[in-house]
Amino acid sequence: MAESVCRTLRDGGLEGEHAPALTIKDSIASPFGFDVFCHVLTQLSSFILAGKSQSRGLVLVAFCRSPSFYADLLKSKGIDVNSSNKWVRILDCYTDPLGWKFRLMGVGNLRDLSCEASSTGILCKDVKDTNKLYSSIIELGKGLVAEAKSRFSVAIDSVDQMLRHASMSSVAGLFSNLRSHGQVSNVFWLLHSDLHEVRVTASLEYMSSMVASVEPLQQLTNGQRDDSDKASLTEQNLKKGKFHVRFKRRNGRVRVMLEEFHIEQSGISFKSASSEEVTNQGLLPKVQFSLQLSEKEQIDRSNVVLPFEHQGNGKPIQIYDGRNSLMEGKHETTSVSAGNSETNEGSGGGEIIYYRDSDDEMPDSDEDPDDDLDI
Amino acid sequence: MAATKTRGSSFSRAVSAATPSLAPGLKCGPNGTVFLSSGIPDLDKILGGGFTLGSLVMVMEDSEAPHHMLLLRNFMSQGLIHNQPLLYASPSKDPKGFLGTLPSPASSKDDKPRDRDTDQEKGLRIAWQYKKYFGENNPNFTGHRDDKHEYCNDFDLRKPLERQFLIRQHVDCVSLQDSMNLSVLLDHCGTFLSQFPRNDNNSSITTAGRIAIQSFCAPDCGYSNMEWHMLSFIRSLKSVMRSSNAVAVLTFPPSLLSPSFCKRWQHMADTLLSVKAIPDEDRELAQLLTGYQDMVGLLNVHKIARINTQVNLEYPFPWSFFCGCSTGNAAFMLFCSLSSISFILSCWSKLSAGSYDP
Repeated sequence: MAESVCRTLRDGGLEGEHAPALTIKDSIASPFGFDVFCHVLTQLSSFILAGKSQSRGLVLVAFCRSPSFYADLLKSKGIDVNSSNKWVRILDCYTDPLGWKFRLMGVGNLRDLSCEASSTGILCKDVKDTNKLYSSIIELGKGLVAEAKSRFSVAIDSVDQMLRHASMSSVAGLFSNLRSHGQVSNVFWLLHSDLHEVRVTASLEYMSSMVASVEPLQQLTNGQRDDSDKASLTEQNLKKGKFHVRFKRRNGRVRVMLEEFHIEQSGISFKSASSEEVTNQGLLPKVQFSLQLSEKEQIDRSNVVLPFEHQGNGKPIQIYDGRNSLMEGKHETTSVSAGNSETNEGSGGGEIIYYRDSDDEMPDSDEDPDDDLDI
Repeated sequence: MAATKTRGSSFSRAVSAATPSLAPGLKCGPNGTVFLSSGIPDLDKILGGGFTLGSLVMVMEDSEAPHHMLLLRNFMSQGLIHNQPLLYASPSKDPKGFLGTLPSPASSKDDKPRDRDTDQEKGLRIAWQYKKYFGENNPNFTGHRDDKHEYCNDFDLRKPLERQFLIRQHVDCVSLQDSMNLSVLLDHCGTFLSQFPRNDNNSSITTAGRIAIQSFCAPDCGYSNMEWHMLSFIRSLKSVMRSSNAVAVLTFPPSLLSPSFCKRWQHMADTLLSVKAIPDEDRELAQLLTGYQDMVGLLNVHKIARINTQVNLEYPFPWSFFCGCSTGNAAFMLFCSLSSISFILSCWSKLSAGSYDP
C-alpha cells in the first residue's frame, strides 16, 4: 500500500541500521513509475514540512527532469515552495550531466548557465564519477540539516540514467554507502525494469528494503486475444494498474501487499485491490482434496486408540534373548538395535539357538511382525 | 553363549590402534573424516556430525532476508569459542563491525531435556512401535555442559560474545570491496590456510581453521560482473581447502548470478545449504506449521559433503524449518513439526552413529 510505503520512509531507520530503501520499478506495459515516484516525493515532502518524519530535509538528485519541473510539481501539490531552500536541495544532473555545455561555454557560444541554477541546488557536471556524486549528495544534505545528528532523505529520480554513465558496481557502491551513512534517513529511486538486464534489477532489489512494482492489471499475452480486446486492455492499462509492494521486515519475513491505482488529471490515486487476493507464490502446493477435519471428525480421531499406544506402560522393557519362557509372550517386544540371538517358538521342551549372521536383514524379518499386536 | 558383542555381525572392523588425538571442537567422522561444528546443534545432526574438514560449504542467500547472517554468526562464534583461527571477508568497508554482533553461548545451567516426544505429538499422532525406545537414541542430551569442551554450543543471539574470545584469537578481517583482483584474496586465503596443513597420516590435528566469506557476489564489489573469475576463485579455494584442515563457508545471493553460473556455483559446493524467507501473515502456512509465529525462515539442505566415500548422503526431505524466536529465548533452534521428519532425523543420527563411536 502506498500509505505504508510512505510511512516506512517517513519513520526512517534505527541507529546503527541501514536506512530503508525503496525501489520503484515499472515497465512499458504500465509506465507509471514516475507518477508513483512523484507521489512518494510529495508525500514525504509534506511529512518533512509538517515535522512528522525522522528526516529534516530532502536531497533530490534530478536526472530526467529539470529542477524547475520539481519546483512546479511541489507548488501544484500545495507544498510551500518559498521556504523550499530550507528543506530541499536539488542536485541537478539533468541540465549538463557530462559537462559539455560548460565546456562549450568557455568557447563563448552559450549563455551562462549559472543563472539557471537556483539557490536550492548545485549543478553536477560529471555524473560518471559516482564518488563525486556521493560527496555532493552528502554535502548538500549536511548543508540542509544544521545539526550533526539530524537526518535527511535522498531521492534519485532515475537510476537508468545513472547506469548509462556508470557501472553497476559503482552505482551499487553509491547506494550502499548512502544507506549506511549515519545521517541518511531513507533513500528511494525509480527504475524502468525493461531497460536493463535481469541481474541489474535483481541487484537493486537486493539492496533495497522495499520493492514497489507497477504492473498492468492484466498482462497482454500476444496472439491470444482479438485486436479489439487488446485495444481495450491497453486502454485500461493506460488508466489504471496494480501496485505491488514487497516489504523486507526486520525479523526477516517478507510482507506482500497489493493495491490498485488510477491515473487521473490531478495525479495518481490508490485504492485497495478490488476483488483479487494477494497471490503469494505459495510455498505449499495447491491440492484438490480436503485435508481438513471437521469438529466431529477430530473428536472421533482423538478417541481412537492406536495399536502400539498401549504397550510398554511403565513396565520395564524386556529384550527377548531366547532364554525366557514363552509364557510372557503377551507383553514382550523386540529390541530395535541389532538383535543378538533369538529363539524361534519351538515346540515342547527343545530350543533352537539361532545366532544372526549379519545385520543386513531387516531387524524383524524373521519373526512375525504381528506378534506385537495387542488387540 | 549369549552374544554380548556390541556389533551383531560375525565380522568386526579393524579399528586403527591409535585414534587420532584431536583438539577440542573436532570430532571424528566416518571414513577418516573429521568434523567441526557449525554452531547449530540441529544442523550438525542433519549433516551427520558437522562440517567436514577440508570441505567448502556454500549457502544460497535469499535476497529478501538476512538469515544467512545467522548461520555465519553461529559458525564464527563457535570457532572463536574453540579457539580456532578465523578469516572473515565481507563486502562492507568495515568488516570488524560485524564481530560485535557475534552471539555468546547460552548459559544452560539447567539441563532441560529436549522433550522430543511432545514436539512430535503436535497435530499428527503416529502409533509407532519404536517410540518408547526413543530415549536411547539420543546420547547428545546427557553429559556435562562445559562450554569450552562442548563440541557444539547453543548460542543466545541476544548476548554478544565476550571480548576475551575476540582478543584471544585474532580474527583476520578482509573487505571484499578492496579486492578488485580476486587473486589477492586467494593469496590471502592461502596464507591463512597454510597454518593448518593436512598430512596424510592424520595422527593429530592441533588446530583447525574457519573461513567465512559473506555475500561473495554482492553488487558493490568491483569484480561482481566477472563471473568466470569468481568461479575460478571458488575452484581454487576449494582445491586449497582440500589440503588443509579448515572449513570455508561462503554465502552468495543466487538471484544476482546468471542461471548457468548459479548452477555452476552450486556444483562447486561440497555442502550446499539455502535459506529462504517466510512470507508474513500467510494463512496457509500458519495452519500447516505449529510454530509459525516464531518462525522467520526456512533452511534447506541440498547437498552434503561426500569425502572419502561413494555413498550418496542425499537428504531425503526438502524442507527443514528454523526459527529465531522473537520473544524470550532467542536461541537458534532447528526443529521439524511433522513427526515423520523427526523420526527420520533420529534414524539418521542412528545410521551415522552406527559406524563410529560418538
